[in-house]
Amino acid sequence: MVGEITMKKYILNSFVAAAILFTAACKPEIETPAGTTAGQANFSKYIAVGNSLTSGFADGGLYLEGQQVAYPNLIAAKMATVGGGAFTSPFFSDAQSNGSGYVALTALVNGTPTITPVVDKLAYRDAAKHLTKYSGEIQNLGIPGMRVDLSFDPTLTFSAANPYFERLLTDAQVGKTNYFQFIQGRNHTFFSLWLGNNDVLGYALNGAVTIAGDPTTVLTDKVTFSSLYSNLLNALTAGGQKGIVATIPDVTAIPYFNTVTVPALLAAAKAINPAAQAVFIQTGTGAVRAATAEDLIRLPFQSAGLFGQGAIPYGLHPLNPITSDWVLDKDEVIKVKDYVDSYNSSIKSLATSKGLAIADTYTYFNQVKTGIALQGVNINSAFITGGAFSLDGIHLTPRGNAVIANVFIDAINTKYGSTIPTIDITKYRGVKFPDTK
Amino acid sequence: MKKILLSVLLSAPLWVLGQGFQVNLQGQKQIGMAGAGSALALDEASVFYNPGAVTFLEKNSVSAGVNPLLFKSAFKQSGSNVTENVKNKIAPPFEFYAVWGPKSNRWKLGLGVYTPFGGLVDWGNDWSGKYSLTSLNLKAIYFQPTLSIKITDHIGIGAGFVYNHGEVNLQRAVPVNFPDGRSGHTTLDGTGKGYGWNAGLYIKTLSNISFALVHKSKVVTKLDGGTAEFDVPNSVRSSFPAGNTFNAELPLPATTSLGVGIPLSQSTVLAFDASWVQWHVYQDLTFNYAQKVNGSFVTKSDRNYRDGSSFKLGINHKASDKLALRAGVGYAFSPVQDGYVTPEAPDADRYILSAGIGYTPTSHFEVNASFFFEDVKSRKQKNIETGLDGTFKTLVYAPGISLTYKW
Repeated sequence: MVGEITMKKYILNSFVAAAILFTAACKPEIETPAGTTAGQANFSKYIAVGNSLTSGFADGGLYLEGQQVAYPNLIAAKMATVGGGAFTSPFFSDAQSNGSGYVALTALVNGTPTITPVVDKLAYRDAAKHLTKYSGEIQNLGIPGMRVDLSFDPTLTFSAANPYFERLLTDAQVGKTNYFQFIQGRNHTFFSLWLGNNDVLGYALNGAVTIAGDPTTVLTDKVTFSSLYSNLLNALTAGGQKGIVATIPDVTAIPYFNTVTVPALLAAAKAINPAAQAVFIQTGTGAVRAATAEDLIRLPFQSAGLFGQGAIPYGLHPLNPITSDWVLDKDEVIKVKDYVDSYNSSIKSLATSKGLAIADTYTYFNQVKTGIALQGVNINSAFITGGAFSLDGIHLTPRGNAVIANVFIDAINTKYGSTIPTIDITKYRGVKFPDTK
Repeated sequence: MKKILLSVLLSAPLWVLGQGFQVNLQGQKQIGMAGAGSALALDEASVFYNPGAVTFLEKNSVSAGVNPLLFKSAFKQSGSNVTENVKNKIAPPFEFYAVWGPKSNRWKLGLGVYTPFGGLVDWGNDWSGKYSLTSLNLKAIYFQPTLSIKITDHIGIGAGFVYNHGEVNLQRAVPVNFPDGRSGHTTLDGTGKGYGWNAGLYIKTLSNISFALVHKSKVVTKLDGGTAEFDVPNSVRSSFPAGNTFNAELPLPATTSLGVGIPLSQSTVLAFDASWVQWHVYQDLTFNYAQKVNGSFVTKSDRNYRDGSSFKLGINHKASDKLALRAGVGYAFSPVQDGYVTPEAPDADRYILSAGIGYTPTSHFEVNASFFFEDVKSRKQKNIETGLDGTFKTLVYAPGISLTYKW
């Protein structure tokens, strides 16, 4: 009797074991080389040099969630499978996770967004809006607002004026260093360099108006750019390190300049007053003329509350045009594009001469502008709905960061024969939509 | 002026049928022979395999069987080091047959209820292809009353009318994020019906070599009033209205088969079947919604299927009066062209292997079992519409059993 029960148990267990073995054994296998080799590169200590994009800035601010999904952080996590070491970043603490503050989409009614600042859990340490200091080793060296020209700031004052830079410096360093000095001596084995956007964007974001005494609104001279960029590369490759550089996206490919369009403004004006004939702008030369679809209006104009206001309706009459600082007029667009092309040709030729990988984000963002389908997600440069750009219309969403990180990874793998695994972009979100009506 | 129109957030819901959804499990004996047997008057499953052979069956019979099917598919995104697997879910293809006719007459009546198309794929809600598909549960149940007539002692013809009851539940993630970061989700659920026919010719030559020609018509299955649910943030609800319904048409393809049966000895017979599956009917998939989804009443998605085909060779050996042993091999060519492979039917050319056993304890009872295995070749693909880019690999396992009563 006992024997019989034992036997039954034995048979039952055998069946269960067989079933488990069968299920495990019959799993389909897919063999690929991903994650097996660093190729000719050494990823043991990777540093990321750059600006706001590198830091993880998004939605008009630098905050923890954005920092955690900055493209260098996503790349570094994947490098771990091919010999990559730890990657440290100047994260805000959980208590101050909203960092500089940022904006959130709080309502979307009939396609009209309401964008509201997030003001809790900020990391400001004083009324002058200095940020809580971060000390300790960092490898994500991205600083919002950093430019190629200001990396070499001879006055050393930008280290005090830029709160994101100031935050990373000791009191003794503030006002006494520049970014070029800051990024050196870090014993890196691999680097990424995505810098130069602000050398033209700073100018464009101000409607191509340079503010006297504000070096962040200057357009960097083309020859100067090339020479300084070369200095950066020389420093970063001083120990024979390998790395990757990225080209600068066409600033006119971002939602910031393609959301508030002249035809949309005119249609809105006509809806109220069918007699409206044209939108009037003041160009960079001071001339006033009717705007065309080739003139680009900055994104914040939509919530500035100016359009159509006043006894002489703003923007709808030659006597009260949209002022030049709101507009990248078509001649300014041509000028800005020309500078971007020049910077990119410098970046590519310098990188090529150094044997470095190139992430051609210029070309990639132009594809995004027309729309691409990736892993079942349609991504384009539409504001809010495009999925790639955050609510400031300039910086990337987590999904956008993942997409760009793959552009870097592909370029690194191609150049160095490495097999850094790519990132599953579907794990990363686009803009968060409010769940209220 | 502030108005910003929501652009197209997502492409059309997808729905694909492939060879992967043609379920070649309609009779335990034939399954044991890799699905060959249209030219053999083996048993009541000839109602499906060849209505023309039904009249040559010696006895009246009823049988019922089931083939629990494990569809194990894996996916690896291009460049990734992560392999993702479908969840283990058992699909239950089944078959029921009845054949009856007066012994002395030249005709027999038959009824078949079987599941020639279906799919059960659940990739989970957080895999890397979730915006293409998270899960699909598709069932097509064919009901086929049949008449088979012996024209001469060597030639039989038969035909059946087919009514299809179809059910589908398709789910996927929508790339619109909630405030907590999670994605939206859509569920399309519907039932439908369609009609067709199945006709066959059976010829038994004087040398006992037999031939078969069988055509199963296409069955366009119409889904009316299916429910389309969208779980999305309320701020975009107007683009994805609640309580929406859809209509769709699902063309299940025609199949033309040529079969040969060759007796090797008194106890052993070989069967060979070549089938041409006319998937070209599946050019696009169109959903018509009652209320606009993301600005449109209609979503149309190109499929561009070509015809598929399969070749199957099986052997049936009577080891004794009571025991039969079977085995089979086969190969099938996928109808899905490059650029159109999807997670619903991660299709590719495939190998088929099978084995079977039959036991007849009395003259009235019979039990048959089979094991069916398909190795779907690894296929690296980038879908033209969705951009889903990676390698699929699928293995299919289906053990089965049936019981038969004969008189």
